[in-house]
Amino acid sequence: MATNGWIIFVITLFAPLLVAGDTCLSPSVKSKYYITTEAAASVDTVFIVEFQLTCKNGLKNLNLYADINGKFLPVTITDDSKSQYQVSYSDENKNLPAGNYDVRFYDEEGYSILRKAQRSGETNDSIKPLFTIALNHPGVWKGPVVQSEFIAAVVAILVWYVAYSAKSQLQSDK
Amino acid sequence: MAAKSGKQKNLTKEEELLLQDFSRNVSTKSSALFYGNALIVSAIPIWLFWRIHQMDLYQSGIIFVVGTIVSTYLVSFAYKNVKFVLKHKVAQKREEAVSREMMKKLADDKKMNKKEKDERILWKKNEVADYEATTFAIFYNNALYLVLLIIASFYVLRNFNPNINYIFSVGTACGLLALFSTSTK
Repeated sequence: MATNGWIIFVITLFAPLLVAGDTCLSPSVKSKYYITTEAAASVDTVFIVEFQLTCKNGLKNLNLYADINGKFLPVTITDDSKSQYQVSYSDENKNLPAGNYDVRFYDEEGYSILRKAQRSGETNDSIKPLFTIALNHPGVWKGPVVQSEFIAAVVAILVWYVAYSAKSQLQSDK
Repeated sequence: MAAKSGKQKNLTKEEELLLQDFSRNVSTKSSALFYGNALIVSAIPIWLFWRIHQMDLYQSGIIFVVGTIVSTYLVSFAYKNVKFVLKHKVAQKREEAVSREMMKKLADDKKMNKKEKDERILWKKNEVADYEATTFAIFYNNALYLVLLIIASFYVLRNFNPNINYIFSVGTACGLLALFSTSTK
């Protein structure tokens, strides 16, 4: 019986680790992102988030889901060996104003809980994401308020006006 | 001047100066100044259309060269007209100051008689008026040319293709410049 008890003890000690095999433990993320900053050549604002995920338990190539601005998107694995991921999102400029955006990432388990909560009409705030990446969107630049050719035209007209008034003064009879 | 006075050799120096004063002809020096300036100001659109409107310098070379030559001719024509109109006015305005200064300068010279002094004053007056009118005509016409060019190429013809834009904006600018220069007001 003593050996049996020992086996049970070992199983109860290591079983949680095996169960947690598909959950990333204490994830550390190195991320960078790109956000459209000008509207002169683009209609839509694009968010591209790229990150490298390291798990304490050495998990790689996870199926992750991102929640950007209330939309759920699957995350693409871009490099298997380095555990690199990428997710992108785009919408019209006016729907993505300047500000801070938190992108929440969920693994499959978290995502299924989330879907379940959504189906039953609960709020999903209580479900903790695996990790979040904060994006700072400075807003899109819609081009200069005054076009450079307008400034050129104004300067040219000013110079001409000075020339014209000097000419009329010269030509006046006084 | 030589051609005009060639028939009548008995023109006095004063009369010749008077003729020169009222003629539309310009001296070689100011003619060179006019053509040089007209060429520079006419070549400016090449840069504008090459760098800003993205025209190819070699592909559109013929248009550029022809446009610049025509524009140079018309701009220098405008220079001459404006100078001619201004010269008399400048001469009238500066007459007093010039003669006062010349009298002061020549006051000590006892050997010089009245006629010679007057001649000197007339000559100086002509020189001053000529110089001022020349430089002012260049300045005024350049300013007007650039205004017309910028407005035509950036606003009036902005939606046309660059070749047409170049031809018409340079044509309009130098054409209007030449036209305005013929008015005496």
